[in-house]
Amino acid sequence: MAPPATKRRKLSHSDSSEDRDVAISGSNNFARNGSEDSEQSSGDEDPMEEHGLYGDEDALGSEGEEGDSVEEDTPVAVKKSKTTGPEHRAKPRKGIDDIPQDGVYTAEIYKSNLFKLQVDELLKQVKPKYGKKEVTNAMHTLKSIIEQIPSREPQLVHDAEKSLLKSSKVSTPFPHPRPPKDAKYKLEYEKPAVINVTGSYVLEIATKHGDELCVDLVVTMPSSLFQEKDFLNYRYFYKRAYYLACIAVGIKESKDHKFEIRFESLNGNSLQPILVVRPSKDASGDFSASKFCINVLLSPGEKIFSPEKLLPEKNCVRPKGSKDELSSKLVPTPFYNATLQADCSITAYLKVLHAASKQCDAYKDACILGRVWLRQRGFHGHARKGGFGNFEWAAIIAILLQSSSGTGAPILSAGYSSYQLFKATIQFLATRDLTKIPFAFQAANVSLPKTEGVPYFFDGERGLNLLFKMTAWSYRLLQKEAKNTLKSLADSTFDQFDSTFILKVESPLYRYDSILELPLTGFEQDTNEEDIRQTLPRTCKKLYTTLTRGLGNRITSLSISLPEETGWQVSSSRPFEDRQGRILIGLETDPVNSTRLVDHGPSAENKKEAASFRQFWGEKSELRRFKDGSILESLVWSQKESSGTIVEQIIRHILQRHISARVAESAKFSGDSFNHLITAGGLSGQSGTTPFLTLMSAFSTLEKDIRSLENLPLQIRHIISADPQLRYSSIDPPFNVSKQMKTPASIVVQFEGSGRWPDDLLAIQRTKVAFLLKLAELLSGENAQYVTRVGLENTSQPSQNQSFLDIITPSGAAFRLRIHHDREAFLLHHQLKDKSLDGPSREAAAHALATYKRDFLRIPAHTQAMQALCTRFTALSPSIRLTKKWFASHLLSSHFAPEFIELLVARSFLQPAPWTTPSCATNGFLRTLFWLSRWDWTHSPLVVDLANTESGADSMKADDLAAITTRFEAWRRIDRDLNRVVLFAASNLDPDGTTWTDRARPAKVVARRMTVLAQAAVSVLKDTELGIVAGKTGVADFQPETLFAGPLSDYSFVLRIARPFTRFGRLKADAKADNAMFKNLQLQMQSEGRDVEAVGYAPASLFVEELKEVYGNTIIWFYDEEGGDVVAGLWNPLAAGKRGWKVRLGTSTVPVAGKAKASKRYGGVDAVVNTGGILNEIARLGGDLIEKIEVFDIQK
Amino acid sequence: MPSAKPSPKSRTSRALTSVSSFTILPLTLPALPALKSQPPAPHYLYIQPHAPKLPEPDTERSLFLANIPIDATDGAIRALFADQLGGGRVERVVFEATVPSYAALNTKSQGDSGGARRGKKRKRGVVNEDKVGVVEDAETALPRVWERGLCVSGSSAVVVFVDRASAKGAWVAVKGAVKGGEEVVWRGEGGLGEKRYRDHHSLTFPPRATLQKSINAYLTAFTEAETTRDRLRAKQRAVPDEDGFVTVVRGGRIGPARLEEAQAAKEKADEKDKKRIAKDDFYRFQTREKKKEREMDLRRKFEEDRKKVQEMRERRGKVVPMS
Repeated sequence: MAPPATKRRKLSHSDSSEDRDVAISGSNNFARNGSEDSEQSSGDEDPMEEHGLYGDEDALGSEGEEGDSVEEDTPVAVKKSKTTGPEHRAKPRKGIDDIPQDGVYTAEIYKSNLFKLQVDELLKQVKPKYGKKEVTNAMHTLKSIIEQIPSREPQLVHDAEKSLLKSSKVSTPFPHPRPPKDAKYKLEYEKPAVINVTGSYVLEIATKHGDELCVDLVVTMPSSLFQEKDFLNYRYFYKRAYYLACIAVGIKESKDHKFEIRFESLNGNSLQPILVVRPSKDASGDFSASKFCINVLLSPGEKIFSPEKLLPEKNCVRPKGSKDELSSKLVPTPFYNATLQADCSITAYLKVLHAASKQCDAYKDACILGRVWLRQRGFHGHARKGGFGNFEWAAIIAILLQSSSGTGAPILSAGYSSYQLFKATIQFLATRDLTKIPFAFQAANVSLPKTEGVPYFFDGERGLNLLFKMTAWSYRLLQKEAKNTLKSLADSTFDQFDSTFILKVESPLYRYDSILELPLTGFEQDTNEEDIRQTLPRTCKKLYTTLTRGLGNRITSLSISLPEETGWQVSSSRPFEDRQGRILIGLETDPVNSTRLVDHGPSAENKKEAASFRQFWGEKSELRRFKDGSILESLVWSQKESSGTIVEQIIRHILQRHISARVAESAKFSGDSFNHLITAGGLSGQSGTTPFLTLMSAFSTLEKDIRSLENLPLQIRHIISADPQLRYSSIDPPFNVSKQMKTPASIVVQFEGSGRWPDDLLAIQRTKVAFLLKLAELLSGENAQYVTRVGLENTSQPSQNQSFLDIITPSGAAFRLRIHHDREAFLLHHQLKDKSLDGPSREAAAHALATYKRDFLRIPAHTQAMQALCTRFTALSPSIRLTKKWFASHLLSSHFAPEFIELLVARSFLQPAPWTTPSCATNGFLRTLFWLSRWDWTHSPLVVDLANTESGADSMKADDLAAITTRFEAWRRIDRDLNRVVLFAASNLDPDGTTWTDRARPAKVVARRMTVLAQAAVSVLKDTELGIVAGKTGVADFQPETLFAGPLSDYSFVLRIARPFTRFGRLKADAKADNAMFKNLQLQMQSEGRDVEAVGYAPASLFVEELKEVYGNTIIWFYDEEGGDVVAGLWNPLAAGKRGWKVRLGTSTVPVAGKAKASKRYGGVDAVVNTGGILNEIARLGGDLIEKIEVFDIQK
Repeated sequence: MPSAKPSPKSRTSRALTSVSSFTILPLTLPALPALKSQPPAPHYLYIQPHAPKLPEPDTERSLFLANIPIDATDGAIRALFADQLGGGRVERVVFEATVPSYAALNTKSQGDSGGARRGKKRKRGVVNEDKVGVVEDAETALPRVWERGLCVSGSSAVVVFVDRASAKGAWVAVKGAVKGGEEVVWRGEGGLGEKRYRDHHSLTFPPRATLQKSINAYLTAFTEAETTRDRLRAKQRAVPDEDGFVTVVRGGRIGPARLEEAQAAKEKADEKDKKRIAKDDFYRFQTREKKKEREMDLRRKFEEDRKKVQEMRERRGKVVPMS
């Protein structure tokens, strides 16, 4: 059965299929011999459209016998792959082209070929080998052991427990609360009714990755043990615990086989202890070779208790006291009931899942994909890990595959491919809010209790809410992850396989903006309970409700994780919760709201709400009158740096007020921990672009002034900004009012076209100078406070831009204006194609053309795009600055175009999958590093779609991406050794992909270093994260600075730049000047003698530039251009070795006697680089710039 | 300038005094405070009488120096020969490769080297088909932004002496110094360090008047050349050659909006193309062929993808979720 056709049709159009395709399919329709019109399945419409996309549906043989599988958003084509069922068997129609089918058409069923192929690979890798001898043997042994356990006479609870402990040292794992001392019923053991294998292993949906393989053995207890009323007051669970203990005794005492056994709570549910059996380490056991364990589960058998009594709204734990007074308002015990039902229906679910795997061929694969997906997001059936695991996933698919009587077609169709099943299930999870509208399967008459935030997926046939272990927060998180995945799967341009299945999403450092750590020791122990475990769920719930209410829309998600639980020895009783553990709360903040200073509460007139508001916030709430005259309850947060971010303030306040002062004190908070590394990096109370506003307004003033100039020889077409400082992405904010801006910001002016420009490259350059002189004259004439001067550049490259105009505004902002004239491009092209020119000249023309394109076309376009993005994503600007800082700290910044780094960071925001858009600097930075550490730049390009918006109007299409990939591959073919283009970085604005990285910028060595550094950083983060999760390190203990420091001894030698020429020295000098003067003098100085000479003067950078030119590729230089205090050099291993002597080696050499064959011509003399001599030369050249040269011996 | 004593080791153990026809001349380098902890290291000059493949008139009185120090200047080399190597008088030094590349270190020959190093062969006022060029001289060239340039590491220079005798004397002195193990000290001209960069920075912004003058001179020369060319072309257009043909040459129209017109023309052409495309599926065979093409395309893409995944596997190993 398929869902209604209309819906499908509509949705399938929403897929990337264009009208054009539909039109084609339409025409094909006519060509067909209407035979399939008779086919009842509405599915045949989709194939048409679908194949319209890919051509000939006839050849595809799309008509399956039983109506094609249909998915809501992934229309169907027929695929030919082993994983699909018989209904997909291709039936090529007679006549027209008989094209062989070999899986070419999987594109739509599997998102894309690439996706499908990778999924196949993945499935191959994660499936364990079934039918291993050791496993089957062990199962048989265990089964026979259990079958041979002798029965035990009925005994009173207390006696039964005691005798087990005494005779066999096995403690009965009674759940909490322990059975009452005066219990009248008796516990006994009898041979099990059935022993069966169950779970993912037998269904062949297990995954071998990570955890050891677990096989579930279900032991059905004989029904004779139970009485009708045993479902009440834990009686069943006590009997069950005793039964389990007896089995434990049996296994422990069996002589032939040595097993290690432990008790464990099934999925952290203390009502359901289970026995985990592992091969003994010392014994050469039956299955010691392979790593796996056997879980012994218990079941009372189906329908032993009346299912009606165990519905979620029923009460099964009667409170103590007189019956009459309480029977009227018994509180439902849904968790208890569901646990009991879960025990009863183990076998029933095995049947359901088995039936599903028979019914639907792709079912197993879909389950495995689901497992991987859940695992990478940290979901697990364990109650402390979300309560949604593999079983829940498998069961939900199985139920969704069945048609619920009365509701019509099933949500999933048996004809779906594994990917379609996976995606549709994700869609089900993402789009349905099961807390508001519960899903009930064959449970028309069941009324489900409404509890805030509890999701319901009620399987009426087995009377179980499959999601009973989930908490409000884990359900929200699941929903969020599902939404996120759905969104990324809808991306038809980029391959999302890695983000869906491969990447580890759960890592808290990447996933959350802020982490709150609450040590368990801080919580008061309930006097009635000996173990804090019993109160933890309640505490968590309270934390969740108060924190979500308090933080409101400042956060987008909040998740609570508790320390992991482990099993315990059978000889001891259940251990108490470890008080050294702690609760970790991860927060994802909304960058726009999280920094709001004032919260508006209800109006004072609204008494009831106001009272509740006051009650919640306590003395923090104050009545305020606002500009519009309204009087509101409100909260005002501090902006002071010492008081921490506003989110932190709120959390501390809430903990203090609603939990306890002790908890609030012991709480540790870590949020956006890296932002202090850059000036004004935090977002507190302001957006990330604020530090740049003074420069932006200075720019718009200048633009206005230039445009209003009269007497300009030509009209101005645009004035565009083309500088990192003007796109919010320079490491340091450019300037503030009291200081002169040091690095002028580039801007580009284009005049209206005119025929009076000379038609010669060199003459154009001179004309530009003339224009600049005129502009300067006019500007200074208009406003004498503008300081202007024309400068020269590129003096060695006459066909490149030769001149610029520096403009220093009265406020201290500095701009560097260049003239863009589009005729240059044409003339350069002409030169490039001019066969009569010599090679070097044409090479120079090519270079000039590339430079022209970069400076006058790409950089301005890039600047505009980044400006827009920085305003759209609040955290982008600080993330870029932090990332640039990282590059600079590792002395890499001179090797990378700033635009390239910006693209890297923008990628983390525009293609955030598997996470959501970063909302603070730290997150943006860390995720960029993470991606960088995994970027295999030799084989894959960086492609960023800067136009990627929610609406997706102008965003890149798959074709654009394909074109870029082709270009990338072409580069790799031309330049196999990566001598010219090492990194390939394209965007929608720059499909060439080499604008920022051509001419070995960076070189291979440097790119490799970048990767190595990123990997090192990621592994440090990984360690930290493991420490945090394991409770070894505190969230606030991590020192962000460690990622920004590296040993200098990695380099061959280091030039220490003298203080006055470093950023540090400059800052110091500035500070000194500031302090030394009176304020009025300072102001005076600003207005009169601005230090104009120093604008744009960076001697150390000039020095390094010269070194690069003089030493070519003999030495690779590392320098932080923003005023770093060291210049590091590395002898290029290619150039530094011993070579045969010749006249031109391109470097200063020492002749040595050698025997290299190549040097025969020169009498057996070799040459090595004259390192000492070169260092001396460098020291001579640098003169007073260099304080010291340190040489590191790297001869290893 | 203080000079460090060469370490005895480097003098005694270094048996190499020549390689091929070159004499190896070690130069002692000055000791510098920044390099206090480093052992002194000499620089090696490779010298031979200049012997280019195509001899020039000056060849006989020239020496060829390979591997010159980066701070070698005309003055420094003059001083080297005058003070320490026989006292021969140098007429000029021609450097092979300098940074910035145009900077002519020889002030006397500034005029011609300035233009010649630009890599374009032009003569003032000379016109060929459609190129007009101005050969820069001191007047029309843009002001220089560096006081002095540097030599590329490991590059060479040709030292031209005033006469053959000086050259010969110098060569003998070089050989003698090497043989006798005399210490020859390299003394740069100084003027390096931060000050050089500061000077460069102020030279980058030449005075307005200077700049204006240079631009005016250049543009005047350019216009002159252009006029000459136009006149020549006009003549070519007007006068048939011996065979009676009129040469077709550029010009005859200097109008604005070349680009705009071209764009308009292109748009028109595009539109035409579009109209034609619209009729592409008129015949059945066209549709069929298209279909086939798409089919093939699809198949090709699939093959590519498969290959890609295979490569990925080979490169990265198995497709396994991160742990």
